[in-house]
Parts: sequence; structure tokens; C-alpha cells
Amino acid sequence: MTQAQITPSTPATVAAMMTLKVKVLRFDPEKDKKAHWVTYEVEASAADRVLDVINHVKWYMDPSLTFRRSCAHGICGSDAMLINGRNRLACKTLLRDVVKKSGDTITVEPIRGLKVEKDLLVDMEPFFDSYKAIMPYFINESPEPAAERIQSPELAERMAHSSNCILCACCTTSCPIFWVNGSYLGPASIVQAHRFIFDSRDEATQQRLNIMNQNTGVWRCRTAYNCTEACPRDIPITQLIEEVKRAVMYQQA
Amino acid sequence: MYRGREGQWAFLLHRLSGLAILAYLLLHVFSIGSFIFGERFYMAIHHTYDLWFFRLGLVVITAGVVYHAFNGLRIIVMDFTGAGVAYQRQMWYGVMALSVLSALYAAYRLYPRLIGGY
Repeated sequence: MTQAQITPSTPATVAAMMTLKVKVLRFDPEKDKKAHWVTYEVEASAADRVLDVINHVKWYMDPSLTFRRSCAHGICGSDAMLINGRNRLACKTLLRDVVKKSGDTITVEPIRGLKVEKDLLVDMEPFFDSYKAIMPYFINESPEPAAERIQSPELAERMAHSSNCILCACCTTSCPIFWVNGSYLGPASIVQAHRFIFDSRDEATQQRLNIMNQNTGVWRCRTAYNCTEACPRDIPITQLIEEVKRAVMYQQA
Repeated sequence: MYRGREGQWAFLLHRLSGLAILAYLLLHVFSIGSFIFGERFYMAIHHTYDLWFFRLGLVVITAGVVYHAFNGLRIIVMDFTGAGVAYQRQMWYGVMALSVLSALYAAYRLYPRLIGGY
């Protein structure tokens, strides 16, 4: 090849440092009556993640900042936050995707619809209660075969998307229905239900569809698509919810 | 304000237009029904409809009804077909275009009334 190609073009890995204003919605139940904004100036690279910036604030500027994070690689689902007006995982959001230039501001808020315990940490119990309500376990009472229960690739494909969920609550807490009606099971639970309803080996389909047919179930969905936009695992959530709606409807007909 | 995309605004507008249509219908039934209290009462109410707010409201309610009707069809398509979910954004822009066009047409037809009243 020609010599010109030996010199690398501007590599994507080299990112200039920039100064950011990180605006965090803070709340300390022991001191504050209301949540309030606190801005921190942080130097960061465009290739850093939002989690790196918040960690920097906690480790070097204000150790009282409270938030959840664990694996920091987008698989444990701990650090769902409302970043720049949208639900995202802080560990999967690169700064270059939320800010344009040095001096820009990023806003970080706790996810909505769940009670804020402190700063960015919310009470996840109601979320996991709705998860438990959909019976998130495999049910098959027929005798076990000698080897595994066989499933064809086509049938496995039907639950390929829904089995990707990491229960981070990005979808449920982006749902306008969930914000005003906490009894709605929410997109995350319906995705989990979808995973078992469309599992050819599961035998409790009828029971699961009945749970989805209750007034806290799938009919609360008004197709606002916020869940689909928010999902850090790129699950087409609204499409899955619609599939469950159709499954409920055609079973009842 | 949560920065949702088209779907969120489609949902919000559907709710608001639904409420607007309900309010319009109740007002309509009440003002027509007011004739049982006699012509003076009926006319008194109908003179208030000559205020600019109500004149402009005619255009808004046209847009609201068209939006609610066509977005309702969009929701039906989404609920029954996978393609509907895939093309919900495009369909919503279509619904918005139809609503704006019908509002413009209503404004054109009602122009004398919008400007000068009855």
C-alpha cells in the first residue's frame, strides 16, 4: 500500500482534556427538606465515562456524595441515573456522547418514580417487588429428561431480547405512567415476564398471562417509548410489551 | 422535563387532546341544552362564544380532534402489528402533518369569523 497510510489519521483514542461542570441533584434526608443542585468542576477526557466523573467527585471533592455502582461495566445494573434528561447507565455513557466542548454542563439526577434515599440513591424495593410479582423463575412440572430440555434456535430466538435484561430500572423509571402510578408493574417486569411467556420450555404461560392481564399489568402501557429509548441493553422494550399484549388478547379471545 | 423522544410527546398530546375534546363535548351539550331555560339564557351563553378565546378554540379543537383520531389509528396499528412499532415515529410525523394541515384549513374556512366574529 502507499506510504501515506503508515501515518495514522487522528486516532480516536486520543481525547483532549476538558473542564466540565457536573450538576448533581443532591438530597440529604438528615439535613435537607428539598433536593438541591450542587455543581462541581471536574477535569476529564471525552473518552471518560460519566461514572468516572462522579467517582472523581466522590473520591477527591465531596466524599458524602452517595450513589450505587458495582461492576462499572454495564452488566450489574446498579448505576442507572437520569443524565442530561435521559435515563442511562453512568458506566456506559461516554462524556463525548453527552457534552460537546470544554465548559459544558452535565446534569445528574436520581431516577424518577422511586423514593430518593440520599443523593442519587433510590429505594429499589418497589421495583423488585413488581419483579417478584411476575414469578421470575422457570416453571416446568413435567419429569426432567435425562439431558437438558431441548429448545430449537428459532424458539430460543423468541426470548433472545428479553433475556438480555439486567434489571437496572432505566426503563421503568423513564415511564410516564410509572411516575404517576407506582402500582403499574412497569416495563422491566413485563420484559422479564416476556422472557418466561415466550420460553417454549416454561409451562406456567397461562398463569403468567393472567398476571399481565391484571389492571397493574400490560394494559397500563400507553406506548410512550421512553423505555425503549432508555434501555442500555438495546432491548426493543415497547415491541416486547406489544407482543405480550397480543399474547394476552389472543389467549382470551 | 424528561427528554423523551417522539413517543413521549405523542402520548402527552393524545392525553391533552382527549381532555380537550371531552371539555368541548361537555360545553357543547351544556350550551345547546341551556335552551330549556329559555332563549335569553341560551343567547347569553352563545354571546360569550364570540370572545376571541372561543373563536381561536375552533381551530384548536379541529386540530385536537384530527390528532386524536389519527393518533388513535397509529396506536391501533402499533398494537396489532410489529411494523407499526418499527414505524411509529414516521407515523407520528404523518399525524402531526395532518393535524397542522387541518388546523390551517379550518383557519382558512373560519377566517371571517376569526377576524370579525358573527
